[in-house]
Amino acid sequence: MNPLHRRERDLTDAQIEAIVAGAIAAEASLARREAAPPSSAIVWWRAQMRARQEAAKAVERPLTIVHAIAIACGVGLLLSAVGTLTGGLKGSTAWLTGLYESSGTRSGALGGIDFTSLWVTLPMTAMLISALVASIAAYVIFADE
Amino acid sequence: MADATFLDVARLRDAADTADVVLAMDEDAFRAFYDRTSGALWGYLSRISGDRQIADDLLQESYYRLLKTPVAFESENHRRNYLYRIATNLVRDARLTRRPLFDETVELADVAAPEDTADPESRADVRRALGRLKPRERAMLWLAYANGSSHAEIADALGLKTASIKLLLFRARRKLASTLQRQVTR
Repeated sequence: MNPLHRRERDLTDAQIEAIVAGAIAAEASLARREAAPPSSAIVWWRAQMRARQEAAKAVERPLTIVHAIAIACGVGLLLSAVGTLTGGLKGSTAWLTGLYESSGTRSGALGGIDFTSLWVTLPMTAMLISALVASIAAYVIFADE
Repeated sequence: MADATFLDVARLRDAADTADVVLAMDEDAFRAFYDRTSGALWGYLSRISGDRQIADDLLQESYYRLLKTPVAFESENHRRNYLYRIATNLVRDARLTRRPLFDETVELADVAAPEDTADPESRADVRRALGRLKPRERAMLWLAYANGSSHAEIADALGLKTASIKLLLFRARRKLASTLQRQVTR
């Protein structure tokens, strides 16, 4: 009688082990015939390629960090330069405002306009944007290389 | 890195692109080891994951990770056990990130090899019964009865205590036998 047709509790451990071992051995034999792994040469070549790519990426990682730090430093320097220049220009236009006031030729219409803000801040903003765009462009160019 | 210039980094990058990378084995040793073990490992992966495509992917990944490991192996058996441990972990990770791995309603056409002469019905029963086991039980039974691994080797491959293998194998055997019986008597 096929042991599989008997109830599990009627089987001895040895019979159960025989059933399981037989079933898995048959399945393993089938799996061995199905198996079509790629050749060892291909697997070795792919491993080499992947290891090289990972090594290259590992080298590039610090380079990216250095780029980011350089850009951050550049932007910081630029902002501080803008701050210094704005302060200097404010000082340099103060004598002009004083001249207007002392000569008594100050126009009522012109007096309502903040020259410092209009003529200094706008060019400085334009310069800042240009510098940022230039930094990003330089980064993209060097990163591609 | 403190003294490295941009040119140094670029030179290092070029060197990484062209030089031979350091792997844990040389080519001849790897190819011999692969030829001895890849068929059995593919069988293990395909039956534990229940998917040939996943088995193909994980096979290469397993060998790559073995090549990258810094472990100094004492013997071929040690290396093989480590390979199965990597493969087991990869199957477990794949189960967490991909679709359910074991299709319990496996189509016979999917598993039949052209020259296969075994009884298709009983073959399907075995696959279905295996599919109803937990992945760890499948792995354990496969290592024990398809690979002939010892309890210590199974414990090493599955990351379990050797002392617990005997009981876990006993339960897994009972479960598989019981499922096979239910299928036969249905």
